[in-house]
Amino acid sequence: MSRFALLTKLSTMIPDDALVVACIGNNSGFWSQLRDKDTDLFHITMGMCTPTALGLALALPRRKVIALDGDGNLLLNLGSLGTVANQNPANLTIIVFDNGNYLGSHKKEPGMPTATSGRMNLEAVARASGIASASAISSVGDFERRALAAFSEKGPHVIVAKVEPLDNDRPPRTKRIPDPRENKYRFVSYIERTEGVEILGSGLGGG
Amino acid sequence: MEAEKAKLVLDGMKEAGVNFAAGVPDAQFIEVYKMVAEDPAIHYVGAANEGEAAGIAMGAWFGGKKPALIIATSGLLVATYHLARINLLHEVPLLVLIPYRGDLGDPRWMGLYQKTTEPALRAMDIPYRVVSRSADIVGTIRECNETARAWLRSVAVLFTGEALW
Repeated sequence: MSRFALLTKLSTMIPDDALVVACIGNNSGFWSQLRDKDTDLFHITMGMCTPTALGLALALPRRKVIALDGDGNLLLNLGSLGTVANQNPANLTIIVFDNGNYLGSHKKEPGMPTATSGRMNLEAVARASGIASASAISSVGDFERRALAAFSEKGPHVIVAKVEPLDNDRPPRTKRIPDPRENKYRFVSYIERTEGVEILGSGLGGG
Repeated sequence: MEAEKAKLVLDGMKEAGVNFAAGVPDAQFIEVYKMVAEDPAIHYVGAANEGEAAGIAMGAWFGGKKPALIIATSGLLVATYHLARINLLHEVPLLVLIPYRGDLGDPRWMGLYQKTTEPALRAMDIPYRVVSRSADIVGTIRECNETARAWLRSVAVLFTGEALW
């Protein structure tokens, strides 16, 4: 089961107005090829993907928010699972693409192992952190069922997808990923337009 | 810390329009954290790590909130990687509130924060003001927040012992 296969499936079923927060690396790279929309934030760095998605979910409780996180990324701020559990946002789904290694994403062989390639079980950690809807999936069909349930039932949800260590089916890059500032202006303009809030303001301090 | 001084920090946040805060409590500012957490006008999220808190605050800004990050001088060091990304790559305005320790009269182990705090903020290109008088707390928070929103940059306010105790 590859990361790209799961992201491809996700791109066909995700609600149009769902907000996506993608961590750095191939989650951002692949997702930007599949669904580069105003609703998506890319390049969220190590340890910050789930926290950023949590802040967004708390700010906009009526919108579905989906974090596309990774094992190494989440491990850097693992305590964020406890924070998610205690804040209990019903609209947040965290999908962890767990390839069990650091820096294997652009290589022909896996990089160094993460803790999840050893004895650590992220699904159990999420559950023990207080997130009742935590599951591990092992096939694209499983993923589809769990993701559909997450989009229709109250969360927070954590879906841990054990994926292949290498992204051998990586798609050709046909589009440029927006840089963080371009991405920010696009995303914020979309939120201002659809949520009726002022974020950027006048540039004079009013916003 | 006297309750009335903590209240000034809360007043400054509210006057600035802050309606979301994230942080990791510390002994010097505990009264502020408690007041912020109990205030119905502010959604406070207690994080396990200051970098996590910075990410939460950034996400809230993207969702239309006006966030503050409340952290200790030690927490600033923990959050440096995330704050550097937020300020230098994403250019997202967080109001960062820090009780400034390490001055003469503080315990020896706090002295390191005199050496790290302002250089860390400068390295991350985060403008800051040092508040040394209680009378300046509210106005400085308001002005720094306005600047952060206008410049799309994070801005920090450092509160010395003279202002807080």
